[in-house]
Amino acid sequence: MPDSVFRPDPDEEWEALIRQLQAQPKAGPQPFFYGRVRARLSAQAAAKQALPGWLLRPAYAMLLGSVVLTLSGDGRALRPDPEPTRHVRTSAQPPRPLPR
Amino acid sequence: MNILSEFRLFSVDYTLPLVFADDSPTCGRELTPTADADLVAQLQQGSEAAFRTLVARYQDRIYRTVFSLLRTPEEAEDVAQEVFVEVYQTIARFRGEASLTTWLYRLATSRALRARQKARAQKRFAYFTSLLGFDNDVLHEPPDHAHPLALLEGQQQLQLLLDHIARLPDQQQVAFTLHHEQGLRYEEIAAVLNTSVSAVESLLFRARQTLRKHVQRHRHA
Repeated sequence: MPDSVFRPDPDEEWEALIRQLQAQPKAGPQPFFYGRVRARLSAQAAAKQALPGWLLRPAYAMLLGSVVLTLSGDGRALRPDPEPTRHVRTSAQPPRPLPR
Repeated sequence: MNILSEFRLFSVDYTLPLVFADDSPTCGRELTPTADADLVAQLQQGSEAAFRTLVARYQDRIYRTVFSLLRTPEEAEDVAQEVFVEVYQTIARFRGEASLTTWLYRLATSRALRARQKARAQKRFAYFTSLLGFDNDVLHEPPDHAHPLALLEGQQQLQLLLDHIARLPDQQQVAFTLHHEQGLRYEEIAAVLNTSVSAVESLLFRARQTLRKHVQRHRHA
């Protein structure tokens, strides 16, 4: 007996599959979706108020970070040492004995 | 051009108006373009009530569109929220050259595709780090594409179809999903994708051809 007797027409099979796809139960968001959208908007607005907009750009943030790092040091590298020989022990000064 | 970059461009320039017809099967057709135009005008004036109306009117369609591209409720919820947040933040720049519905579908599909791309990149990275032995943690949970209906007996074909829809190229997947799952007409899909009707027909033809080939191959295996 030919196979086509048992096997439906491919076009019909395809159409049936598409109907099955369209017959899926309609998904929907959980209840109180609007409340969650509002909360997200509020959170984003709060974050934007906390930081200026330009600071949210990575290039500006990195530039600011590098400036802060530079200025936060003691600036020793930028300043000449006022007394360069103050702590240098010369051979002319004999070692003092430790107090008893 | 990549569909994502196209979408980014289109989110700025809306060129194709969406034509509504009374005989379309898509839900929400009772809404006229005028009603949407009024809503947009109120939104642009900062009306909270108008935003609430917009969300109530479109949340199901946007969620379903995103869900049909991502297939996970959590991701769909997240992306649908992002869409409405973006609408709220950018409505002032909406010039009405496309209908509100078209604009929302564009935002939804482009954000869904971006989210999927990001998830795939994270998955690849997690796989790569696990190969190199950087961590001993369990790999990030792969998204569960099993649809509840497909878990029932006799639903393997549907699950197979859903799996292969997810593997279609972006534009084909968007066109197929918008037409077969969301019930949009060719002209509407063309407006969303900012392309011609014949291009949509071509996308759908190729998508169907690919899907039928895979489904039939599995059936005869």
